[in-house]
Amino acid sequence: MSDILGIFSILFLPLLITLIILYGIIKKAPVYDIFIDGAKDGLKTCIDILPFIIGIFIAIEALTTSGAMDFIQKLSRPLFDFLGIPEELISLILLRPVSGSGSLVVAEKIMQEVGPDSFAGRAASVMVGSCETIFYVLALYFSVTSVKKMRHAFAAGLAGYIAGIFASVYICRFI
Amino acid sequence: MMNYIWGAMLITGIVFSLITGKTSDFTDGLMSSCTDAVQFIITLAGIMAVWSGLMKIAEESGLIAKISNIMKPLMHYLFPFEKNDRTIAMMIMSFMANIFGAGNSATIFSLKAMELLDEENGRSQYASNEMCMFIALTMSMIQLVPVTVIKLRSDLGSSSPEDIIVPSIIAGLISMLVSIWICKFFERNKTNV
Repeated sequence: MSDILGIFSILFLPLLITLIILYGIIKKAPVYDIFIDGAKDGLKTCIDILPFIIGIFIAIEALTTSGAMDFIQKLSRPLFDFLGIPEELISLILLRPVSGSGSLVVAEKIMQEVGPDSFAGRAASVMVGSCETIFYVLALYFSVTSVKKMRHAFAAGLAGYIAGIFASVYICRFI
Repeated sequence: MMNYIWGAMLITGIVFSLITGKTSDFTDGLMSSCTDAVQFIITLAGIMAVWSGLMKIAEESGLIAKISNIMKPLMHYLFPFEKNDRTIAMMIMSFMANIFGAGNSATIFSLKAMELLDEENGRSQYASNEMCMFIALTMSMIQLVPVTVIKLRSDLGSSSPEDIIVPSIIAGLISMLVSIWICKFFERNKTNV
């Protein structure tokens, strides 16, 4: 089962690219010229989002290097205890919404300490596999729009994230 | 909203660095994270250009309109008022890229979709229902094979690194259902939070 899924994942991008180019050629579109034109737009978008990326990166760094994250972690320990979430996972749960690469490092650390096949190790893997970096996504996606009030996007993302965390922990407990 | 979150993150960081005496770490971190951000964009720039180019081919050749027509019934429940073919196609591409684990490509499709949604929303200050639903969906979209985690697990000596695939998909689906439900709930109540 996982092999078949793996093959799909590996083949997805090459197949998509083939489809796009073949379809373009069949329809007699000047594919190369259009490609260059579109690539220019892509680079422009990159420049547009750079300030936002810098903003997000420094804010996350501020929280982690200053020790604020550690403090929040200690503070929230009783709460996580009460919810039946192992304490090894707290740092991952708190870091995941803001930083994809940071949370991957934390997940690696957790698995090194408790073993990848232990309960906490598996729960950490499932979290990384199913929970998104919600704050980062919100900031980045709205950065290309004129939106100042994001309405219920925040609530929906947060609720989904929390649901994903609980699901990860409880599924790993029973499987 | 973002103003408060961002400001609070930085100020909390500064206050804590003073309390914990890690002020120099803090300053170093701040400087290096700026460089990291630029480096990240440079990594993204290449793939961004490639996908923008390819998507433009797909758009002008009519492929996008075709794909979005096929998937329309499925998207209709989630985005009942979305009529624009390009937007629908871009959202579908973003979901597909997410599902197949092409994270960076997914980001690019999503940004394009957000730009289009912003146009349709008349560049309003308030996010539209479609934007909220789209963001909620991308944030909770499942990934068939979380390659990075599996690689990590096998590197760390797991006896069955793939064991987490099915739990991840189930957890992802639960998170997705909750997000959709919240969006639909707010849509019905027409509140501006």
